Amino acid sequence: MNLSQIAEQLGLKSLTPQISSRNSGDISGGHVSDLLSDVLANAPSKGVLVTIQVHMNVIAVAVHADLSAVIFASGKTPEEAVVRKAVEEKIPLYVAKEPAFDIVGRLYSLGLRGPRA
Amino acid sequence: MKRFAADLHIHTALSPCASKDMTPRAIADAAIRRRLAVIAICDHNAAGNIAAAREAAGDQIAVLAGIEIMTAEEAHVVGLFPSVEAAVATAEEVRAVLPDTTEAASRKFGEALLMNANGDIVGTDPKMLSAATSFSLSETVKLIQKHGGLAIAAHVDRPSFSVISQLGMFPEDVVFDAIELSTAPSSLSSAARLAGLGLPMIRSSDSHFLNNIGDAFTVFQMREPTFSELALALKGVSGRRCCRA
Repeated sequence: MNLSQIAEQLGLKSLTPQISSRNSGDISGGHVSDLLSDVLANAPSKGVLVTIQVHMNVIAVAVHADLSAVIFASGKTPEEAVVRKAVEEKIPLYVAKEPAFDIVGRLYSLGLRGPRA
Repeated sequence: MKRFAADLHIHTALSPCASKDMTPRAIADAAIRRRLAVIAICDHNAAGNIAAAREAAGDQIAVLAGIEIMTAEEAHVVGLFPSVEAAVATAEEVRAVLPDTTEAASRKFGEALLMNANGDIVGTDPKMLSAATSFSLSETVKLIQKHGGLAIAAHVDRPSFSVISQLGMFPEDVVFDAIELSTAPSSLSSAARLAGLGLPMIRSSDSHFLNNIGDAFTVFQMREPTFSELALALKGVSGRRCCRA
């Protein structure tokens, strides 16, 4: 399942239409966390991150951890500067109205999994 | 130039999570017993017990005015100020964005006790001091510096409530005056990474209990144990410096 299919299934709002329409390739996993140290340590490469953390560092961490996209849950929306940085770094950003719990449940039902413990 | 041992992060009974034994007098006595020359009072999101701590200490030990602010990202930032008034003015801006406490919160996290120099309880703070403010990390550092304070990233080597635990790395747009290590021995790799930031490093106890005061401290070489000398020592001006952290 690629990113645009996931976005459509979950009704996500894209913050970065300039880049997120590109074909992302198949996404098979992800991570949910608001602690960016934990994201750096545990998020699977090419996965999606579900978070309510909207600090600028999300983008740097997404680049480091080689993530495919970031989904902000509970309607949390980062500042414009964060979105600009994301476009620059080619990290697609989405906003979901639902809380992280629901978003992750729906991603799981679409077949995405966390990294094996 | 003299050397002064300083523990620049100590809570009083005003911090809901700190022991009720953290009275102004008891803190000063414990600090003197541990041969500290300087301490800083840094309660969570509040500055209401600093004046009492200073009065209790008299001229036996220097008491600097501080605060520990919890940012919106739930990172802790210590502010040290040139005066009690500057710390109180900062705390006023912080409390404006804090929720009121509830009876349940006071029961669970402890009461926020305001004390006089003798340790008598003179009131409780009605704000939920253990909550996060709505100030981002960048706004918090700017708030502290606007009031003439030094902004210090608290216990960066701890797994919770630190800039690194919350944000993974130091953001480029935030200029701290120093970073604080805790009592935990740092691994060589993390010490090297922190040193790479090029910021002065201090070590403080973050005491919530009397017997932890002085468990970690920094030795400063400076003319006298004052805020302005400390600020110069952090910058390494004219022979002043942090000798050991």
